[in-house]
This record gives sequence, C-alpha cells and structure tokens, in this order.
Amino acid sequence: MHISDGILSAPVWVAGYAGTAVLAAVTMRKLDMEEVPKISVITSVFFIASLIKVPVGVASIHLILNGLVGVVLGKRAFVAIMLGIILQAIIFGHGGITVIGVNSLMMGGGALIAYGVWQQRHRFSFKKREFVFGALAGAIGTISSGTILALALVTTGEEFNTIAGGVLLAHIPIMIIEALIVGSSAEFLNKIKPDILAGQRLTQNAQG
Amino acid sequence: MALDIDRYHAVDSLVNRWDPRFKLAVMGIFILAIALLKTIPMAVIAIVLAAALIRLTALPFHFVSHGLSFILVFLIPFLLIMPFTYPGDSAFTVLGAGFAWEGLRLATLIFIKAVSIVLVTFAVFGSSRFDVSMLALQHLRCPKVVVQMLLFTYRYTFVFLEEMRRMHTSMRSRGFIPHTNVQTMTIFGHFIGTLLIRSFERTERVYKAMLSKGYQGELHSMVRFKSCSSDFGKSILTLLLATLLVAGDFSGLFHQAVQGWY
Repeated sequence: MHISDGILSAPVWVAGYAGTAVLAAVTMRKLDMEEVPKISVITSVFFIASLIKVPVGVASIHLILNGLVGVVLGKRAFVAIMLGIILQAIIFGHGGITVIGVNSLMMGGGALIAYGVWQQRHRFSFKKREFVFGALAGAIGTISSGTILALALVTTGEEFNTIAGGVLLAHIPIMIIEALIVGSSAEFLNKIKPDILAGQRLTQNAQG
Repeated sequence: MALDIDRYHAVDSLVNRWDPRFKLAVMGIFILAIALLKTIPMAVIAIVLAAALIRLTALPFHFVSHGLSFILVFLIPFLLIMPFTYPGDSAFTVLGAGFAWEGLRLATLIFIKAVSIVLVTFAVFGSSRFDVSMLALQHLRCPKVVVQMLLFTYRYTFVFLEEMRRMHTSMRSRGFIPHTNVQTMTIFGHFIGTLLIRSFERTERVYKAMLSKGYQGELHSMVRFKSCSSDFGKSILTLLLATLLVAGDFSGLFHQAVQGWY
C-alpha cells in the first residue's frame, strides 16, 4: 500500500519527511560498517519479494512484508524500508518523490511496531512460539501501516474519509495472508538459521 | 519486470548531457513546484512541460508507458470514487450516490499532478547512469551511508531477482500451483525464508571480498562531474518555469481546489 504524489496536502508530506528524518537518525545510531552491506542485501530481497503475487480468490495481491523486515532487521528495519521506498519511487514511480517521507513512516513505522511485538516472544515458551509471534508481527505490521495511511488521508481532508475507510477494510485480507507468511517464514528461519532473526537470545540455541 | 531504470542513459540528448548534480537539484525543485499546484490549468501546463521533458530525453514510448501503467492502476480508482464521496452539495445522483463536480475536479487535479511528477522522475533518473545519479545525490549532501546502501540495494536487486526466478521455476517444475489456502502461504513463507538465507550468506562472502579489496566504508568512483555554462542555462530556465507555474497558481485567475485540502 502506497500513497501517490499529489494527494496529500503539503503540511502532511512535509511532516512525513521530518518524521522520517528523525526516525532514520535515531534507528541508525551506532551503525557498524559491517551492517551497511547486510542491510542493503536484505532490503533488496524484500524489494523483489514484494513482486511476488499471492492469489486471493480470483484476484491476487503483492506482499508487503514489512513485518518480516522488522523480525529480521530489528530497529534497522526502518532504514531498510526507507531505501526500498526510495527505489520504488525512482524505478517504478510507485508512490512518488514528495511522499517518500510519509510512505517510509507508514511502512517503516509498521516494521518497528512489528519488531516490538516480535520481541515479546521471550516472555513465553511454547512449541509454536516463533510461528505465533511471527504471525502477530506480520499482522500488526500490516495493520499499523494501514492505520497510518488512513490517518494521513483523514488529516488531509474530510473528503478522503470514505477512501480511508476503504483502505482500512482492504487491509484485513492482506493482514491475514501476511500473518500466515511471516509466521511460517519466522518459524522456518528459526529452525534453519536462527542467528538471522533480530533480537535472538543465546541461551535458546546454546546446545547447537 | 524491467528494473533497470537507466537502460537508455547512453542516448545523446539535452537532458542526458546535463550535469546530474544540477539536474537532480533543479528537478527536485520543479517537482516541489508541481506538488504545490492547486489549479487545473497550471497542472495541465505542468504535465505538458513534463511530457516535453520526456520528449527531450528521447526515452522510448514503451519505457514511459510501462512505468505509467503502475501508477494509473492506483489513480483511476480515485477518479471513480472521489466524485461520489465528496462531502457537501452534489450536482445529481447516479444509482443513489451523489455526484459532486468538486470531487471530480479534485480527483482530476491529483491525477494530472501525480502523472507529471512521475514523468519528471523518469526523465531525471532515466537519463543518467544510476550510480552517477547516486553520486550526484552525495554531492548534494545526501548522507554517504544512505547513498551507499541505495547503490548496493540496486545492484543486488538484479542478482536476487534472477535467484528468485530460478527458485520459482524449480518450484513450478515440482508441481507447485498457488491457491488461497494455508498450505500455499506456508510454502511462500519458506520460499522467502530460503531466499533470505541464501542472500544473507552471499552478503557475508561479498563483504569479505570487499574487505580484502580494501573497503573501509567508502566507495571510490572514476566519475568526475564537470559543469559548463549550458548546465547553468538549463537550470535557470527550469527554475523560471517552476516559478511561473507557482505564480500562475497564486494569481487567482483560475479556480483553486478547496481550502482545507491544502
């Protein structure tokens, strides 16, 4: 889900740029040189994974996967998503130049929230834990982005209220699909290569 | 899916010869001017200027139309929905829904502005090599780290797209047909997980290779920017046009989109 150029009022997209600059600066603190290629590579994987079409009844949707970015990159997810948004605007004209800020806040904010949800898994211990928290992260990441998008539309003007409502409704099926995919991905990664996931604790895999 | 936005950079044209630093800075301001417009006549002039710019870059028609098709999918629903959801008086009703001209006007304005901005974006990034555009961004004080990550990401996108296609082919050859069910979603989840692991392990190898070639957090390039008087000329002309657009918009000659939206 993206907002296009020309829709939002100037104060909204300027605020979007300001918020993105602040969040990017905060989440990029103490960036290690080693992380630069890693973040880039993960970004490009998500960039192309968002080209995958998933069938939903007769139609098909593209994956958003911002929840999974949060699960893999932790707080660095914000920058990864911002880079993805910039490239989409440049290469496809998806979204647009003026709305890079708003779109980054929307998708990257969702990713950060998803990471927060994902971290809660340490409080619990049961067999399908990674699947359940991955799915929650995927669902909450998607719906947070949908909510931020709806808010951006509503603050632009009341004539967008109906569209904002429609946007939120459209996010419900996407949320379910994202939950299933991010959940199974998180479970898979936890089995095959657990150190790729964000916020892992050593005790869990100490015997390996 | 064609991802190489710069595949026609080698064409010789006025825009392609423009120093990318000037081009990016000035066109950024031009896009800003378009984004601020709120009268339809000025937006129409903007889209004509944007089309003229595309013509100057000599980008082939199919390249531009392919790019535009993405954004049209997003914008056409606006044209269809907004006239019926606009609050206030409606001119007449269609199937019980009130049709407001003001809503159609707003949707048209959004449509024209969005298409013009996308056209300008294609003209800017389609007329220089991608790495050169990024270096120009760095000259314009865009943080080095961000520029580097954009370059890496762009580079790897092609590698992983091929990887994904290979994996997809092998999946299909084993008889995978996507349905709307939990099993399909689980398979997609594992598919993305595998893609992640493969690319992650590749990063580690690439990073070691980069270190052994002397990477210290900085990329060096052979590209040297050179500006001449024509670069200044083009820049001044574009800035003049941007000013005229905004001035025409504020002159009050035309009907402005409703206050409050702005």
